[in-house]
Amino acid sequence: MSASPEAAAGRPPGGAVHQFVPALIARDATGSHTLLLRQALREAGWRSEIFAEATHDELLGETLPVDAYPELSAPGDVLVYQFSTSSAVSEFLAGRPEPLVLDYHNVTRPHLYGGWDAVSATRSAAALEELARLAPRAVLGLADSAYNETDLLEAGCPRTAVVPVLVDLDRLVSAPDPRVAARLAAGGAGGGVDWLFVGRLVPSKAQHDLVKALWAYRRLYDPDARLHLAGPTPSGKYLASLRGFVADLGLSESVRIWGEVTDAALAALFAAADVYVSLSIHEGFGVPLLESMRASVPVVARAAGAVEATLGGAGLLLERAEPSYVAAAVHRVLHDEVLHQRLVRAGHGQVAAHSLAAAGGRAVEAIASVAGPPPGRPVRAARTGE
Amino acid sequence: MSEAAESASSLADDRAYLTQVMAEIDEEVRRRRASGDLPPRLERELDELFLEHSPVAGRGGGLDQSLRMVDAAAFIDPVVPISSNKSGGAVIKKGLRSLNLWYMGYVTHQVSQFAAAVSRSLHLLDDRLTELRREVDAQRVPPAVVVEAPWAVGPDAWWVSATVEAMSTARGRVVHTAAGDGWLVRQLVDKGVDAYGVDPRSGLADKGELDGLDLREEEPLEHLRAVESAALGGIVLSGVVDGMTHGERAQLLEVVCDRMAPDGTLVVHSLSPSAWWSETAPPEADLSPGHPLRAATWPHLLGPLGFEATVTEGPSSTDYLVTAVLSGAPTVR
Repeated sequence: MSASPEAAAGRPPGGAVHQFVPALIARDATGSHTLLLRQALREAGWRSEIFAEATHDELLGETLPVDAYPELSAPGDVLVYQFSTSSAVSEFLAGRPEPLVLDYHNVTRPHLYGGWDAVSATRSAAALEELARLAPRAVLGLADSAYNETDLLEAGCPRTAVVPVLVDLDRLVSAPDPRVAARLAAGGAGGGVDWLFVGRLVPSKAQHDLVKALWAYRRLYDPDARLHLAGPTPSGKYLASLRGFVADLGLSESVRIWGEVTDAALAALFAAADVYVSLSIHEGFGVPLLESMRASVPVVARAAGAVEATLGGAGLLLERAEPSYVAAAVHRVLHDEVLHQRLVRAGHGQVAAHSLAAAGGRAVEAIASVAGPPPGRPVRAARTGE
Repeated sequence: MSEAAESASSLADDRAYLTQVMAEIDEEVRRRRASGDLPPRLERELDELFLEHSPVAGRGGGLDQSLRMVDAAAFIDPVVPISSNKSGGAVIKKGLRSLNLWYMGYVTHQVSQFAAAVSRSLHLLDDRLTELRREVDAQRVPPAVVVEAPWAVGPDAWWVSATVEAMSTARGRVVHTAAGDGWLVRQLVDKGVDAYGVDPRSGLADKGELDGLDLREEEPLEHLRAVESAALGGIVLSGVVDGMTHGERAQLLEVVCDRMAPDGTLVVHSLSPSAWWSETAPPEADLSPGHPLRAATWPHLLGPLGFEATVTEGPSSTDYLVTAVLSGAPTVR
């Protein structure tokens, strides 16, 4: 689905719910959420476009430039800002008269970049300032989690609602990349379990703690265990440190840093994983936790940010992350059949509660509460994903 | 049973089951540590090894070294090298260099001037900081040291059994500082408590570590700052707070409050002021920047931080024990 013919023809759509995003990125939780929300809004009966400052090559044609909006604006429009970073879009929206819905996906706090990535830390501080400026003027704040909702309330958002991230979990259980699957099978031919973590390679995701835990696990329980780290690597300094650390521990053959991967490759990684381990110290929601539950991979995770709420009891929640403690928890999950089955079963329940149809319906309902029903029809839950 | 009631009951069952699993994992970790399969020292070394790769630790180098790098990079040479492996390459490069030198020279001269000005400013800043540090050092109040009266500490001290008892139900790890050679940690571990020790004094931890105890040679406050929030089930302070200034003590208690799990227990052993000033006090007492509080002051101090504190005087009134349970949110920060 792409930008509508009306927009392409330059006609004012009128009574529309449009989204704004600094950059629409493929294989990114916010990017995927934005596209799925547009689908849900359109299915509910609104006109809806995505306005972006930048668009990933794979998504060209899905967006319109932000500065094209004033020409297309019409009375009755409601603007939804997908907020997760600092951008000139904030200033643009602050100057617009339309009602603003702030869809907030969390901002990693500046101190979590401290010493590693000064640019990201500065950008993060700027994002928090923009949030403080925009929140009081928003008619509604949408948060992925109760944890994120706290940020909106503290920033002065007058009205908030918790609506989970819209994510198509089914994409990861079909058509795994055969080359990646073959490589994983070859890597595991000698035995040993596969740990998986998916997320940006940044200090706040604490991949270094995962490496420590794997080292302890190999020493205590399984000398052939492997760790797979998938996700973009925006911090060169952290990546270099992690690689050096892994080499010093003699784990270069056992820790695989995959970088950003396609959905098919990710599906292969989930299919091969024995356990999903997250020791992240900051999570606004944690989409990969849900993806893991969808793929029937049991989760062991440090209780940080919104992790506990996202897991909803369907994972082993750790209060601390000492290597021996994490190792013992993973060992227990992998060798206690009853626990393993309970976690997987509970995970399926949690996935059902976060289905695309349910989340889309909640998002549409929340937006309708400020935008009113779409032109010509009453509000109904979106059919997305059904 | 209604569907809602069944669901609530199932949820409660799941929670109880997971709590039981977590307790068994705790026990497994304790057993593994005690057996020497993964000595706590090795886990610490993992942390230290990663810090060596981390810019956050700020290890190695300093402002001097950084300034030398700035100085070395401040001059930009517009005369680019012209050597070449290809026949005639050097001549072509020399020609290009000659053609561009007037332009490149103009630009690089300005960039070099800017870099030199920045470098000069940084040197001035360095000089000012060095001068300030000298002045501050002259007026500096030294940090409190561990002050232990031999008659007040050790396995047979009157307050040890009460401390072990108070920590026996701790949920989470218990830290003792100043732990010395681990005399109290050993007793706690023997009672099934997941305990470890911290002591800033050099060499004391080695002997206990040989016995399989988790002992660390670190400053207590620095150690607690590095611990995660709400991670500790109990904290025992002995010989630590006695000689602290009010400021140091307030900083320590603020960190203690944050690192303590809900319902966590704080135990403080301190000399009494009269013992502090007596001839039997150790020499470190004279060298400390602060002095012990009177026993009755502790409940007054800990109450606003959310603790319910009780005080027990020692048999000869030369020392006392404060036992405090974190029971609520602090009312004062």
